[in-house]
Amino acid sequence: MNQADVSKLMSQLRIAVRPTKRNLKNPDGPEGRLLKLRKTVTALVKHERIELYYNRADEARGYAELLISNAIRHGDRHKATMELADYWLLEKQLVHKLFKVLVPRYENSNVSYTRMFKAPRDYPGMYYRKSVLELRGNPYPVLTPDNSQNRNLLHNVLLDEARKEFRREKLANLANKLAAETENATASTTATPAQAPVTETQTEQSKQAEEAPKA
Amino acid sequence: MNINVRILTKSVAQQYAFKRIVTFSTKPTQQAAAAAVPQQQEVTGPTVRKPIVPAHYRFVYPEFLPDPKVEWRNAVREKLERLDMIDRRRQIELPEFYVGSILAVTSSDPHAAGKTSRFVGICIHRERCGLRARFILRNVIDHQGIEVVYELYDPTIQKVEVLRLEKRLDDSLFYLRDALPEFSTFDENMEAEPLEEGAPVPINDIKVVLRPRPWLERWERQNLLGVANIEQYIKDKHRKSAEKVQKPWEKYDLMKQYRATIPEEEQKEIFAEVHTELHTLELQRKRNKRKRTFVKPKHLA
Amino acid sequence: MAQLLLRNFTRAGNAALLTKGTSSSSITATSAEPGSCQLHTTPACCEIRKLARLRVVDNSDLGKRAMAEGRPPRCIHVYNKRGVGLIGDKVLVAIKGQMKKGILVGLKQKQRIKQPQFDSNNLVLIDDNGSPLGTRIHVPIPTVLRTILKEKTLAKGADYTKVLAIASRYV
Repeated sequence: MNQADVSKLMSQLRIAVRPTKRNLKNPDGPEGRLLKLRKTVTALVKHERIELYYNRADEARGYAELLISNAIRHGDRHKATMELADYWLLEKQLVHKLFKVLVPRYENSNVSYTRMFKAPRDYPGMYYRKSVLELRGNPYPVLTPDNSQNRNLLHNVLLDEARKEFRREKLANLANKLAAETENATASTTATPAQAPVTETQTEQSKQAEEAPKA
Repeated sequence: MNINVRILTKSVAQQYAFKRIVTFSTKPTQQAAAAAVPQQQEVTGPTVRKPIVPAHYRFVYPEFLPDPKVEWRNAVREKLERLDMIDRRRQIELPEFYVGSILAVTSSDPHAAGKTSRFVGICIHRERCGLRARFILRNVIDHQGIEVVYELYDPTIQKVEVLRLEKRLDDSLFYLRDALPEFSTFDENMEAEPLEEGAPVPINDIKVVLRPRPWLERWERQNLLGVANIEQYIKDKHRKSAEKVQKPWEKYDLMKQYRATIPEEEQKEIFAEVHTELHTLELQRKRNKRKRTFVKPKHLA
Repeated sequence: MAQLLLRNFTRAGNAALLTKGTSSSSITATSAEPGSCQLHTTPACCEIRKLARLRVVDNSDLGKRAMAEGRPPRCIHVYNKRGVGLIGDKVLVAIKGQMKKGILVGLKQKQRIKQPQFDSNNLVLIDDNGSPLGTRIHVPIPTVLRTILKEKTLAKGADYTKVLAIASRYV
């Protein structure tokens, strides 16, 4: 290979592509390898999330991505694409899913159509690396931990501090209020006109304080 | 100080209002994750306007596309090569041609009598990319088959003429070496056959006649379209072994195709870079040709 | 042995030569078209080494007869240090039971850029002084030969440029 093949035109993949393929050891050679990958791609389209060995998942991922991108690019009226879908999806009802569900789902997407995660492996057991392969926008709960709730995250630290400050302020206000009331009790006749605005601001602050934790 | 803290509290509270705040937990919350997915699908900012590159450019200028082999890619080298190629194209007219076209190449040759040599022949193969792009011409002169390899961007090439612009049924015509000599015999003083402007490049569906075995390659294994009498010379054992080496699954092997091509987005980028230059060169060439045809006096009576 | 050899046929270019020991009735049947389809044991090797078969392209009597009989000359020595004949090299050939010298004027092997590559390994017979046996070469010869043969003439003392004089055409 020293000249790009110009007879075919393909969209760029949004995933990292290895420079060479993995052979996925198979007694039937390249044909058997493709059959293996066809099974994986079919399962991926069917279940939308599968757990399997890393190498096989990584190989199948590219094929699944290209199948979807070809389906988006040519639509279901294109004969060659239909043949491709027919070859890659062993269960034929999934061809409908590809063109009617997945194509509309990913039409306006500008990220990859699939995601892959490393999965823990059993011990003791096979030493092969495992992974989880899923289609984006699947109905299952997400696998990634939500780091936004980590207390060491900067915004969480700030938020905590702000909350503490607010509480301190509120206590100080309460203390002030109590002090003022005791003063008022002693000198009620002189301080009555000045009391009204103070109470207003205090009520506002207390409202905010109530709202914030609720939200 | 108090006011500042109050404002901050308010704004932060508003910002995270849609989330239930669980301060010291690292467990995934379903709402947060659900909110995260559509965020990624945001459309990026306004698209940059680029010149529209004709779709046929990848056939006309295949050597501008780099080698898809990842280990050999180098963005800087490719860019510099493209600049050099354009520079060369400003100096000399390198016309559009395909495998199967008949070319005449004039190159300077220190050994020749007039210091130039001209070779006419059919292009049987095109290979390599960038500045190393080259092609093979074949002709039969005095009943002697001769092949010459030329580099397209060789500075010693003085002129490349396309005498007949056409394609053949196959991507490379090495089988002409095993065909009867009349199929690769072309007259050296052949006149250029101009093609109508804007007309598609014709495909010559001539089927060549091979001579009997032994051949240089096992043509029966290569699914050639441009060979007429391959069945005549092969036996059952050849047919069987040819069947054995067929790879019908390769047309479904999407990743193999992907690794052998340059993706469309990348092609657009490359051709957008060189398009304006190539286009102006094309226009200039057309103008020159018209001028030349206008000046040429007609032979009357 | 003969049967083993029979499996490998060749085309005219690297044309075949059979020794008398191996030739039999079945072999003559295969070489029905003289000079086009004959026996060959090393089809992939296009280099001119010892025992490589060549094609005489001049009109010398000896060469014409050898080619017409379908018994083209064999290279039995290459006069350079590498043992592989390149264009313009002098070789010793066995032709019709005689030893003759010749100059390679066209090769099937891969050539440099812009230099022609021929469909057959062409040879012009010369005598010891470098003057050709024939009076005309009936195929084109590469222009590089001009420079190469001139250089060799200076180096060796024999006048090889007479080969250039009988060339009909350069490519």
